[in-house]
Amino acid sequence: MTLLAMFLALLALVLLDVPIAIALGVVSSGAMILSRGLDALPNVALVLFDGSANFPLIAVPLFILAGAIMNATGISRRLIALATALVGFVRGGLALVTVGASMFFAEISGSAVADVAALGSILIPEMRRKGYPGPFAAAVSSSAATLAVIIPPSIPMILYGAMAGASVVELFVAGIIPGVLGGLLMMGVAHLMAVRYGLPVEQAFQLRRVWMALRDAGWALALPVIILGGIFGGWVTATEGAGLAVLAAIVVGGFIYRELDWRQLRVATIEGGVQTAVVMLLVAASALMSTHLTEVQVPQEVAAAIVGLTDSPWAVLALLNLFFLVIGLFLHSAAAIVLVIPIVMPLVRAVGIDPVHFGLVVTLNLGIGQQTPPVASVLVTACSIAKADIWEVSKVNLRFIAILLAVLLLVTYVPAVPLFLVQLLYR
Amino acid sequence: MTAAARAWVPRVRAGVERALEWAVMGLMAALATVVIAAVIFRKAGAALVWYDEVAAILLAWLTFYGSGLATLKQAHIGFPRLVQRLSGRSRGAAVVLREVAVLGFLGAVAYAGWQVTVGLWGTYLVSLPAVPRALSASAVPLGALACMAAELLSVFTWRAGVPAPEREDGP
Repeated sequence: MTLLAMFLALLALVLLDVPIAIALGVVSSGAMILSRGLDALPNVALVLFDGSANFPLIAVPLFILAGAIMNATGISRRLIALATALVGFVRGGLALVTVGASMFFAEISGSAVADVAALGSILIPEMRRKGYPGPFAAAVSSSAATLAVIIPPSIPMILYGAMAGASVVELFVAGIIPGVLGGLLMMGVAHLMAVRYGLPVEQAFQLRRVWMALRDAGWALALPVIILGGIFGGWVTATEGAGLAVLAAIVVGGFIYRELDWRQLRVATIEGGVQTAVVMLLVAASALMSTHLTEVQVPQEVAAAIVGLTDSPWAVLALLNLFFLVIGLFLHSAAAIVLVIPIVMPLVRAVGIDPVHFGLVVTLNLGIGQQTPPVASVLVTACSIAKADIWEVSKVNLRFIAILLAVLLLVTYVPAVPLFLVQLLYR
Repeated sequence: MTAAARAWVPRVRAGVERALEWAVMGLMAALATVVIAAVIFRKAGAALVWYDEVAAILLAWLTFYGSGLATLKQAHIGFPRLVQRLSGRSRGAAVVLREVAVLGFLGAVAYAGWQVTVGLWGTYLVSLPAVPRALSASAVPLGALACMAAELLSVFTWRAGVPAPEREDGP
C-alpha cells in the first residue's frame, strides 16, 4: 500500500515535468515527515549529503572527464583510423568501423552518450557523404554506442555496484565476453545490411596501412591496457583506475600527441560535471527513498510476495527482464538503477541469483532502453547528429536491438557467459 | 513583465551560469587531482589519510553546485512531453504546480541543510582536524539555494519570452 501510494505520487509529479530526482525527494521526504513528523526534516538533509558523498561513485565524473579529454585530443580520430585500416576492406566498411571504434572507445569512456557524441559526430557525416542512408548511419552509431555500457569500464555498472553492494571490478570483468560478442554480431549484421544497400568498400586491406595506423594509435591503445590492466590486476581500485584514466588521457593527448583543444576541453568538463550532478542528485534522492522504504520493510515485502509465487531464479529473471525492458522505454538508465535496484535486490538474493550476473542482466536491459523511444538518450543523440527521423531510424535499428536482445537472453540463461572470466580470475 | 526586467533577467542568468560553470570546472579538476595524487602517494608508500573523506566531500559539492547548473541548463532528467502538449490555462496550472513542488522541496532542503550545518558547528573532519564539518555540509543549503535561484531564473526567462536551452541527456 505504501509503495503504491508513493508510486502514484511519484508518477503524478513526473508527469508534471518535475525532475525525477526532485520528485523522488518530494515523495520520500513527504513520506518520512508523515510517519515521523517534522523532526525528520534535518534527516532529509543528512541523507541527501551522505547519499551524494558516495565514495565508489567518484569514478563516474572521472571516467566522463577521461572521455572528454580523449575527445579534445584527437584520440577518437586515431581509433577511427585504426578501425578503418582493420575492417575498412569489408563492404559497408564505415559501419563496421563505427562498431569497431565504439568497442575501442568503450574501453575508456563508460558512457554510451559520450561514445555516440564523440564517434557519431565524425562517422555519421562521413557515412552520409559516402552514400549511406541516414537512418542506417544513425542506427549503427546508436546501437554500437551501447557497447560502451557493456564493455568495461561502465558508468551504469558503477552505479549498480554501489546500489547493489556488488564488486565493480567483477562487474567490469563480466561485461567483457557479452560486449565483445555483441560487437562482433553487430559487425556481421551491419555487413549484411551493407550488401543489401550496395554500400562501398572503404579501402583495400594493406598490412602497411594497419602497421602505420597501429603506430599512430599505439598510445591511444595503451590507455585501456593501463586502465583496465590496473583495475583487473588489483593494482588500483575502480575509482583509482578512473583517476588513472584522466592522468593517462592528459599525458597521451596533451604531451605525446600535443593536440589538447582547451576550449573543447572546457566545454566537455562543464558538460561532464553537469552529467555527474544529474546522476548524483538522483542517487542522493534515491538514498532518501531507500531509507524510508527500508524502514517500512517494503523491499522485503516485495521479495516475500514474489517468492510466494515462484522461487525459481529463471522465472524471477524472466519477470525482471520484462520489467526492466518496459521501464527502459520510459526511464534513463541511471534513474532506473537508483529507483529499482534497492527494491529488487532482496528478491534477487532470496532466490539465489548472483548479484554480478544480475548486474549484467540489468546493464544489458538498460542498454536496450537507450535505443527504445520515447526515452532513448543515445538514439536521440545519434538522430540529432544524422538529422534523421527517430521512427525511421528505429525501424532500421530493430535489427541491432534484436542482437542486443539475443545477447541479453544468452547472458540471462547461460550465466557462464558473463561469469566465466569472473570465476577464472576472482573466485 | 516590464522591459527593464526583460533586460536584466538574461544578464543575471549569464552571471549565475558563469559562476556555477567555474565552480563545476574547479570541482572536477580538484576531484581528479586528489584521486591521482592519492594513487601516486599510495604507490610511493605514503598514503594520504584524508583522501577518502575529502574526495567524497568534493563529490557531494559537485552534486549540489552542479545541480544548480543542471537546473539552469534544464539538464535534470524529467518527462516534459505531457506538459509541452498542454495549452492555455491547463499548461499554466501544470507549471504552477511544478514550481510549487520544486521550489517547496528545495526550500525545505535549504532550511534543513542550514539546521544541520549550524548543528555541526564546532566539529571537525576526522582526517583533517583543521577543517570544520560545517564547511563540508554547507553544500546542501547553498546548493539548494543555487538550484532555487536557477529555477526562478528559468521561470523568469520563460516569462520574458527568451527561449529555454535544449534539454540535455545523461550518461
